[in-house]
Amino acid sequence: MAFKKDTVVGTMIFTIILCLSCSFMITGTAEILKERKLAKKRDELKRYVLMAADVDISGEQDFRQIFAKSVTPLLVELDTGEVDTSSDVLDFDERMAAINPETSSKPKKDTAKIKSRADKARVFKVFNDNGELRAVVLPIYGKGLWSMIYGYVAVKPNFNTIENVVFYEHGETPGIGDFLNDTAWTDTFKGKQLFNEQGKVAFKVVKGGAKPGDLHGVDAISGATMTGRGVQRAIEFWFGNEGFETFLNKLKASEV
Amino acid sequence: MSKSMTATRELLTSPIFANNPVAMQVLGVCSALAVSNSMQTALVMTLAVTFVLVFSNLIISTIRNFIPNSVRIIAQMTVIASLVIIVDMILQDIAYELSRQLSVFVGLIITNCIIMGRAEAFAMKMPPHLAVVDALGNAIGYGVILLGVAFVRELLGSGTLFGHEIFTTIENGGWYLANEMFKLPPSAFFLIGLMIWTINVAQRKRG
Repeated sequence: MAFKKDTVVGTMIFTIILCLSCSFMITGTAEILKERKLAKKRDELKRYVLMAADVDISGEQDFRQIFAKSVTPLLVELDTGEVDTSSDVLDFDERMAAINPETSSKPKKDTAKIKSRADKARVFKVFNDNGELRAVVLPIYGKGLWSMIYGYVAVKPNFNTIENVVFYEHGETPGIGDFLNDTAWTDTFKGKQLFNEQGKVAFKVVKGGAKPGDLHGVDAISGATMTGRGVQRAIEFWFGNEGFETFLNKLKASEV
Repeated sequence: MSKSMTATRELLTSPIFANNPVAMQVLGVCSALAVSNSMQTALVMTLAVTFVLVFSNLIISTIRNFIPNSVRIIAQMTVIASLVIIVDMILQDIAYELSRQLSVFVGLIITNCIIMGRAEAFAMKMPPHLAVVDALGNAIGYGVILLGVAFVRELLGSGTLFGHEIFTTIENGGWYLANEMFKLPPSAFFLIGLMIWTINVAQRKRG
């Protein structure tokens, strides 16, 4: 039987076969590139964590080696502050975990507007060459004006002073909100303190500029009120009691 | 034998100047304006278009006898769109930064009229080997214009070629005052216009 292409049946058979083969072509390519994509994602994570901890990665040594030598990744149960050792930390998919209702919950006080928070989060302990704790890198995210702003905050071993911050992903207004990637701005975070004497989060992005000597404030940027507020609220949330507070207290207790 | 050889060669060479898809048929101008401000993006864009054009022509020409007339445009679009997605994925894998610079224009290869035009006008009627040659010719024609425009724009606009400094600009302590206009898309209009003029004059002289 010859294939009659211009009949209704012929058209349908052709369309179905074409669509199937095209989709196989695409999924095939995606499958081949998957491993490389994962490796790239891991590399990106390592680089940003090291950047957040202010480790110099411009030198000769490969940043992967530096990461392997000086960073201990941990998976932390946020509500209890316990460390989960059961699964692979580097391949933990925090975005999926935050969407999946089984591994996430709705925050009671959603100041960062993240809608649902994963039960676990990745935390990175960064050590210096002598094996002393140099910084703890904590992931934060929260809603800015248009988009989620993702970043890492590194805190010094007193668990209060900021070592450095990195914002690695956001979709804020180009030219106005994208000062997030500007090291001139993120450098002003260095040395600021997250908590006040009462142990509450006191970090602020100050409109009109932080006064000299302000322990908790950094300058806001004109025209990007919402972006600055997003950063402030993300930090408020993630260092509050629904964020890393429990874990940090645990760390503090065992260290002292 | 020799006659078909000449015909094949004609297929390859005529789209480069005499029947250039950008300059003579004024197809695919949108991307030619947008990505021609540096040699690197222009080259990558040319490679991406070449890949899509060659494979879409090959696939469509191979299955041309099975394509029902009523859905032929959609069938062509499906093949082209799949190829563009593949190119986009590969590009993101091997050159992430570049793929961000090219941004939407990789995706917009789907709507590049050169590809649709060649699929509909040529690959639907001709056997695969000729369709591939035709695709290569048109891709080279597109590339010649794109790289030609990018050469002038990058050289005059930033004083560089492939990012290497050719003219030292005043900001870097040299003598060359970079012409900012060449960084903007309108300059490509002038340049493509001049190219069309040149090719037309040359054609007329040849008769």
